[in-house]
Amino acid sequence: MSYNGGPMTEAMYYVLLALMNPNHGYQLMNAITEVSNGRLNMGPGTLYGVLSRMQKDGLISLAEDDGRRKTYSITDDGERALRIEYSRLMALVQDGMILKEGYENE
Amino acid sequence: MNKIVRKLRPSHYWRIGEHESWFADMAAEGLHLKKMGLHFAQFAKGEPKKMTYRIDVSLNKKISSEQKEMYAESGWNYVTSYGEFNVFASPVELNAPELHTDPAEQSYTLKKLDKKLAVNAVIVAVATILMLGMVSAIWFLDGTPTLVLIEGRMIQQTILTIYIVYLAYTSLQAAISIRALRNTLLEGKSINHNAPWKKHHRLTSIIAMIYIVILVLVVAPSFVQLGKSNTKTLPEVSADLPIVRLGDVEQNPELVRESSYIRDNIDWSNRYSYHWSLLAPIQFQSDEHGIVSNKMWEDGSGVYSPSVHTRVYQLSVPSMVESLISDLIKRYDLAHRGGDFINIEHTDFDVLIVHEVDEFKQVFVSKGKAVMHVRYYGYADISSVIESTAHKITLISE
Repeated sequence: MSYNGGPMTEAMYYVLLALMNPNHGYQLMNAITEVSNGRLNMGPGTLYGVLSRMQKDGLISLAEDDGRRKTYSITDDGERALRIEYSRLMALVQDGMILKEGYENE
Repeated sequence: MNKIVRKLRPSHYWRIGEHESWFADMAAEGLHLKKMGLHFAQFAKGEPKKMTYRIDVSLNKKISSEQKEMYAESGWNYVTSYGEFNVFASPVELNAPELHTDPAEQSYTLKKLDKKLAVNAVIVAVATILMLGMVSAIWFLDGTPTLVLIEGRMIQQTILTIYIVYLAYTSLQAAISIRALRNTLLEGKSINHNAPWKKHHRLTSIIAMIYIVILVLVVAPSFVQLGKSNTKTLPEVSADLPIVRLGDVEQNPELVRESSYIRDNIDWSNRYSYHWSLLAPIQFQSDEHGIVSNKMWEDGSGVYSPSVHTRVYQLSVPSMVESLISDLIKRYDLAHRGGDFINIEHTDFDVLIVHEVDEFKQVFVSKGKAVMHVRYYGYADISSVIESTAHKITLISE
């Protein structure tokens, strides 16, 4: 299921977001909770799956591997993909504004 | 050292939720999972403890240490693996975060396994069809299933084939189940970690029993057959063997034995073999070749050298006599020689069928639960063959 530029899963989006600062395993889980303002508590299984897939797709890379601990960081490709996704989500939210206006008109 | 307890797994390996809840139920009884075999799980006996178990499918056969460590940091300790299935445990009171918080992401972990199982299922299915074809060809190709059944040489292969069909069925089931699970996850529904395991447990136990019965059925007769089968050189005199002897048919003092093929101390042109099967506990086969040096074949092809071949069966189910005779005729009809199969009434036999073409003569007879097929090649009269056969069949007809 290699990434082809389409909509990202929520898990992918937040992992990329959290990896704007290189990070590893357990701390990364906390970073995701933080960057999502406590909305997303990602399980280690989901995190590991997303990491290994995105590494294969070249969206993230190993910044450091001291044998015990692997530190990941986002690649240029990854950051580009993340920004495209961000614009897409922004557009989505923008389009949704009519809901807000509709609500106000009531 | 803790006591090890082995238990039959409640269901097939691909039923993740059922295994998770089974492991948890066992831990609550003080049985803590240590290892998982093909059919049995090993538990260490200890204190009852409330535990949560999760089974995670890894992309590669061996789970990476990085993954194990990452899980451990969140409170999930690695227990054991079977194939791509890895078992993690965490005490309930620790309240560890769920391993997979995103079912759609989890479905990706099944991708490789799904593909592997699908390929597997196809290969096994093709192999099974080939095997079925082979076995049914042996049974039915020449239309003599009774003979195959009575000789008993195909029983084990056939039971084995049935078992392989079952294996093919389970590998198909595995492929379908994992594919279904993958799709369920993709739809955003998570695995039911508390799936009830007791229902399948009973079914699995029954299948295990059948499995053992089949094993006994295959192995036990094989050993008996091995112990009760042998080939020996024909002795000069064999009054107690239910075999038609060349000397009795020829009635010629000039007749001497002709040996052409001796191996392992057995004269294969003058031998008798005995064999056992459930349906025919007494079976004999013999070949005998002789030569009369002062006599020639009338067509001038050389010195007169008659031969006789006998097949003998004593059946445990007498009602199979008729279909055995008809199968023997079918298999050994030698139709290219022409001639008719003539049914003759005879006081010494229940059935007597004679086939005679020049110096080639064969009889198919039955009496009581005994069936014989005698093929003779020589100048002696067919009545001599019938007389010898009548004499010999009384040895085993009761």
